[in-house]
Amino acid sequence: MKRIGQAAAVAVTGAVLAACGGGPGGGGGKISDDKVVLAVLNDQSAIYADLSGKASIESVKMAVADYKAKYGDKAAAKEIEVVTADHQNKPDVANSKAQELYDRQRADIILDVPNSAAALAVANVAKSKKKVFMNIGAATTALEGASCNKYTFHYGYNTYMLAQGTGDAVTKDGGKNWYLVYPDYAFGQDMQKSFTSAITKAGGKIVKADPTPFPNDNFSTFLLKAPGLSPKPQVLGAMQAGGDLVNLVKQYNEYKLKDKGIDLAVGLMFITDIHSLGSDALAGTKFSEAWFWNANPENRAWADKFQAKTNKRPSFAHAANYSAATQYLEALQRGGTDNADEIVKNLEGQKVNDVFAKNGTIRAQDHLLLHDAYLAEVKPASEVKEPWDYEKILKTIPADQAFQPANPACKF
Amino acid sequence: MLQQAFNGLVGGAFYALLALGLSVIFGMLGVVNFAHGAFYMLGAFTSYVLLDSYGVNFWAALVVVPVALGVVGIVLERLFIRRLTPLDPLYNFLFTFGLTLILQDLVKREYGVQSQPYPRPSALSGTLDLGLFTYPAYQVFVLGVSVLVCLLVWFVLVRTRVGMVVRAATERPELTRALGIDVGRWVTPVFGFGIALAGLAGVLAAPMRAVNPLMGADLIIVVFAVVVIGGLGSLFGSVAAGFTIGLVSALGNYYVPALSQTLVFILMAAVLLWRPAGLFGREEAL
Amino acid sequence: MILRLLAGSARGRLLLAIGLFLALALPWMIYPPIAMDIACWALFAVSVDLLLGFTGLLSFGHAAFWGSSAYVSGLLAVHVGLPFPVAVLGGALFAAVIAVPIGYLAVRLSGIYFAMVTLAFAQMIYFIANQWRDVTGGENGLQGIPREMFGVDLSDSFVFYYVGLPIVLLGLLLAWRIVRSPFGRVLVSIRDNPSRARALGYPVDRYRLLSFVLSAFLAGLAGGLFAISHGFASLQEVYWTTSGNAVMMVVLGGIGTLWGGVIGAALVVQLNDYLSTSEFDGIGIVTGSIFIVIVLVFRKGIWGTARDLLAPRLKRKRPGGAKSPGDDPAPAPAPDVNAPA
Repeated sequence: MKRIGQAAAVAVTGAVLAACGGGPGGGGGKISDDKVVLAVLNDQSAIYADLSGKASIESVKMAVADYKAKYGDKAAAKEIEVVTADHQNKPDVANSKAQELYDRQRADIILDVPNSAAALAVANVAKSKKKVFMNIGAATTALEGASCNKYTFHYGYNTYMLAQGTGDAVTKDGGKNWYLVYPDYAFGQDMQKSFTSAITKAGGKIVKADPTPFPNDNFSTFLLKAPGLSPKPQVLGAMQAGGDLVNLVKQYNEYKLKDKGIDLAVGLMFITDIHSLGSDALAGTKFSEAWFWNANPENRAWADKFQAKTNKRPSFAHAANYSAATQYLEALQRGGTDNADEIVKNLEGQKVNDVFAKNGTIRAQDHLLLHDAYLAEVKPASEVKEPWDYEKILKTIPADQAFQPANPACKF
Repeated sequence: MLQQAFNGLVGGAFYALLALGLSVIFGMLGVVNFAHGAFYMLGAFTSYVLLDSYGVNFWAALVVVPVALGVVGIVLERLFIRRLTPLDPLYNFLFTFGLTLILQDLVKREYGVQSQPYPRPSALSGTLDLGLFTYPAYQVFVLGVSVLVCLLVWFVLVRTRVGMVVRAATERPELTRALGIDVGRWVTPVFGFGIALAGLAGVLAAPMRAVNPLMGADLIIVVFAVVVIGGLGSLFGSVAAGFTIGLVSALGNYYVPALSQTLVFILMAAVLLWRPAGLFGREEAL
Repeated sequence: MILRLLAGSARGRLLLAIGLFLALALPWMIYPPIAMDIACWALFAVSVDLLLGFTGLLSFGHAAFWGSSAYVSGLLAVHVGLPFPVAVLGGALFAAVIAVPIGYLAVRLSGIYFAMVTLAFAQMIYFIANQWRDVTGGENGLQGIPREMFGVDLSDSFVFYYVGLPIVLLGLLLAWRIVRSPFGRVLVSIRDNPSRARALGYPVDRYRLLSFVLSAFLAGLAGGLFAISHGFASLQEVYWTTSGNAVMMVVLGGIGTLWGGVIGAALVVQLNDYLSTSEFDGIGIVTGSIFIVIVLVFRKGIWGTARDLLAPRLKRKRPGGAKSPGDDPAPAPAPDVNAPA
């Protein structure tokens, strides 16, 4: 019995080894396996599916097509493949899939990865496999702080950027007294801290900051409290995201706080949220935006191309995926190799000016992309001329002010 | 303070409607319907689709949606639930759990995960002066409907023959059967009715809460705790516990925000320690 | 030798040998991190089956134990620097400790209420983990759990599988011993007829509680190892879908069979893995349908069915084996439709 088992084991082993065809393909050619593989690992079935999801694969494919068109025969990467996996918003799936993408699918880079636990897990995988990871979807500053590593880049936005734009600009516009409500988990707590520092720096005052349960569908306790606070707050700063934000705004309108002189400023809002609330419900709300598709003709042209492929208007995440993939391919072109260390060297300190990132720099110390961010306002429905045209860009926050200074905790 | 309490009652209105439906179904069929949250979600989503694609307004949805979902419930009971009721109740629990996953995913595939817009009915968009404080009219309306429905159910149960059979079957099933009363014919309509209540709660939720495929998933767990607190198989207990929990969590939000989410579970633990059958449950029901 | 110790019959030994062989060969056949996932989930599912199949209690909140052990094991490895098997053991003990109050309250209710109450308590643990970010990292998760032992780096998944596998096998052995022990037989008699067991003088609730705590310990072993193997613990580990997943593995494999949990885990983990790269994105539709089909037409699960087909003899020997959980005659108001009364 046992002997049969062993024989079978040997047979299976042999077959599998043969099938795998040896270990990773060493440093032989300049392009490993003669093929560059870009992997999009994101949430295609749960809460981030609309913000990024499958459409981001199209963004990356657009970047590949543009790269090929630009360099033609001179392209260092002759064969480029885009692969994808759905992490279902589960960090452990993201972790296993990232390993598999690097090991088995021979991915040279992983892109996107929303959900901060998943993003941090994938960053660790990238570090141990020594492969490039460019995160777009996660907001946590830990990626360029204590948990940073040489192979991980944070590309697009973070909690600091969200707080800085809104907190600073709204306070300077006269909204001195703030009542902050934040969901009681890591993201909300981070946002509360960032907002508090941005507001006080701009000369404003936090009247009160209340944690709210998460998830929560009843914010009336907090909304009722707001007008009675002393001094009376002029701005309600809501740090909620997604469904909770929708709940909060619906109830904010219900209690008519706006008529009572309390404006709404939102920490994290995506165009998909405006779409779901209807722009009238949010009209006048100010928030930080990393990119808006209809802000200028260049963005719009890209958005039209995107729409032709996906049948929807791009969120900032779609554009950021395009930009990140483009920057990766450009770095590859400059070095002529997909070797990760070379790519990292070529990305560090790189200036970026493309459809997504304006006045951008990939900061060498912590691999955070600095770029212009925007203060946006939601248009009332009467001004919305076409579907998804919900935002008005009020001002540009220059790249060097939009993001935090490099965190000394980050050491490669 | 009074305002906060009122507020808690509005939150409790949803718990009460859902817990009542859950209890009615449980009492009559011995089925714990995990999919109750999913039907609440379907109620909200159906109203959204009706408004968005067919222009059916809130008031019509208030009637149409519960009826439609009630019919779905009846079909469901006839086709599937019925086959499993003679078995261990676990099987129906697992069945409805599977159903929840499917319903959530189907809606997600069709409409995505983002919340859908649903405006308040214009007649209820203002605020009401309640003497001591002013309050959004819509929320008063929700509370009113919920209380009315609960009273109506109570009236039917207490004053009509149908109600007596249902009540007897719910609270003393063996005895009722022993008396030769044909309980079987009421099973299907009662299941449909329970689902309709979940649908009604969904319609009421649409204008004031985020309408998305996941809206029922976390809620149902709290409703389970409510039912356990109220007393297993006790209809009155479910309703009373629903409003109480609403009240307690609103006040908890206000005074001890850090505890507000765990409060309901702590309460459940305390009740289990003190009266395992719940506040209004009977020991034998265990 | 060992085989003889573990299984009485020749058939049992054969099965065990095949099982062991597959366990050892697994990382050669499939991607090693997935193989490790299967091993962890298998032990998790068996812990649920220990309760469901042999005590008649459906815990819908086992994620509380799997997840809290994941956090505690991770914390022990990160902050105390314990070698990973010790950290996992610590996590499992922690899971067993929190199972005592939860179990104490929950075993007062049997049948379906037990499922509701465990689910509710697990949700409470989830909220605590979410809020207590200084310890758990909140939704960032507890990251950077080292995968090493006495300074030896075990980051290679292939190697780690063989180092971690003994923990799983020991856990399975423990489950098997529990089921075959006199204690296990009392549990089965409680499952089949609690009133009679009570009349015979067994403290039913205490037996149930002990079974619950043991089960939580096993779930904790599995969860701790899972966290070490992934290098982090996240909120997903304490979320109710995780409990649901474990229950599904048991139901798919076959309730009350132990082996079934292992088979269910192997299938479900691979299915999830497959779905995450396939074009089809309806993971809930697939898993939901599996639940429904099994519950409606395939209640014995894969292992139960296979055993009936292959070895009717075996079934007769162990009457408790393949039947439905807790044919408890006094649960809740019985359904009227055609209850025998």
